[in-house]
Amino acid sequence: MARATPTGHRIRERRLALGLRQREVAATAGISPSYLNLIEHNRRAIGGALLSRIAAALRTERAALAEEGDAELVEALRTAAALRGLAPSALEQAGDLARRHPGWARLLLAEVEANAAQARMIETLTDRLTHDPTLAETMHELMSSVAAVRSIASILAQTPELDRNWLMRFHGNLDEDSRRLASSADAVRKLFDARPDASKGGLLPAEAVARFLDANGHRFDRLEDEGAGAIPELVAGLPDPVARDMAAAVLAGDADDVAQLPHGLVQAAETPADLLAAAGGDVALVFRRMGLRDPARGLMICDAAGAVLRCKPAAGFPPPLIGAGCPLWPIYAASSAPGHTIDATIEMPDGASWRAQAVAMLTPPVRFGHPPDLRATMLVTPVEAAAGTDRAIPVGPGCRTCPRAACPARREPSVLAARLDKADDAMNTPAQT
Amino acid sequence: MTSRSESDPADRTPSGRVLLIEDEPNIATALSFILQRDGWQVSTHSDGATALDAVARHAPAVVVLDVMLPGRSGFEILSGIRTGPRPDLPVLMLTAKGQAKDRARAEALGASRFMTKPFSNREILDAVRALAAS
Repeated sequence: MARATPTGHRIRERRLALGLRQREVAATAGISPSYLNLIEHNRRAIGGALLSRIAAALRTERAALAEEGDAELVEALRTAAALRGLAPSALEQAGDLARRHPGWARLLLAEVEANAAQARMIETLTDRLTHDPTLAETMHELMSSVAAVRSIASILAQTPELDRNWLMRFHGNLDEDSRRLASSADAVRKLFDARPDASKGGLLPAEAVARFLDANGHRFDRLEDEGAGAIPELVAGLPDPVARDMAAAVLAGDADDVAQLPHGLVQAAETPADLLAAAGGDVALVFRRMGLRDPARGLMICDAAGAVLRCKPAAGFPPPLIGAGCPLWPIYAASSAPGHTIDATIEMPDGASWRAQAVAMLTPPVRFGHPPDLRATMLVTPVEAAAGTDRAIPVGPGCRTCPRAACPARREPSVLAARLDKADDAMNTPAQT
Repeated sequence: MTSRSESDPADRTPSGRVLLIEDEPNIATALSFILQRDGWQVSTHSDGATALDAVARHAPAVVVLDVMLPGRSGFEILSGIRTGPRPDLPVLMLTAKGQAKDRARAEALGASRFMTKPFSNREILDAVRALAAS
């Protein structure tokens, strides 16, 4: 398979052709010049919203810049196919598919995602069927009357010599049970009629909100300019009122953050440390502002159970497609020492290094005898791998899709088992660029 | 399991007692009727709380046990049978909830067979005969 010109080269060529400087393009795209430099030298995976922004900054289409469709699309295709057990040789064709037929590849991926969302919906409904006591009781009544009707009817049909007394008795019971059947069937129907659902496009409210945030890159310029007043219009497109309220609550939090750390300050800051004083020492606030404003950075917020409350992916640092993240991510360690900041360099299996800064904070009010509300926040920023040092902590994207076979923190096998050898080689060989 | 050949011991005319522990009166009536016609002596019992006493009193060859009973659940009664004086007594569990977890629970507690309502009369007769012969 002939390899196409890498995306970074195309970006660089296009920029030079327009006679633009890295600094100008980076500013328009909302990233740092050094990060754009890494991208142009193909040292960073690029795709998704960031590629679109760079394409816009270069006044072109993203398809014109993408090497193999785009890296994010290829990785998502490979992961989705691997989860379904596609042969490793076929996985290698993901790049080909994304480059030649990007529209179809995206359609395929959208179907896979819709499928996963539906599977979760089914799980939720099954939970409901299993645990809803009213439904369980009504179904029990229904099945009991069906059982009686069926048993009696087959006696009547298959016992021609039935004496008159039995005949009368069974007819009476059949009449009684068929009435019971009709009323319990009616009760089941009413139970389902009363349930609010459908019309949500098969998404749970939390998923609809996550999708809405992802579609906007978690970045809402109108909040920066107009504050919370813009929220009703921003969320108006969400059809489900529950999801709309949830999204409005998320954006209200973002608007609060904007009020505390205005746009100008955030834009001028190079690192979180630059904003710490302005934020009154609220590290989590600084992480949120920098993580959500800068398309190159990723942000993750978890509760005390490790459940993801918010996740803004960065190209090359995708959120776990299925299940929890990598237990080695500093965000989880932060939870064990609230208030202490963690500042670590981590390395993903693809060789990219990230600066991961995390902190866990207790959210007031504190009440005696109640466990505190703990929120852990992690900001990830792409960094150039420090050559000749091995201080970066090897982490992964989450066990299911992580190729690090021998990792002691592994909790389940990887679905990418077939690619292990290659990835291990890559881990043991110093990266050559 | 319900298919039988001519030489199958389950094909012989049954003798002995079936104890039917079921609180739905019309199902109990229908089941006793078909079991009696098949040659069994049938006792019925509708209260979960005293079901184990009934098992001891009637000394059945097979117990047909509903899961949902007033007083005490079929699972508790099953576990009482398995830890009582006749741990090998064949027990056919009946439930209107066909959920996998109910089935798994019944199997874990040692149910000999598990059937969901609505059942067919033929299946019940075959199952009871097979259990008595086992």
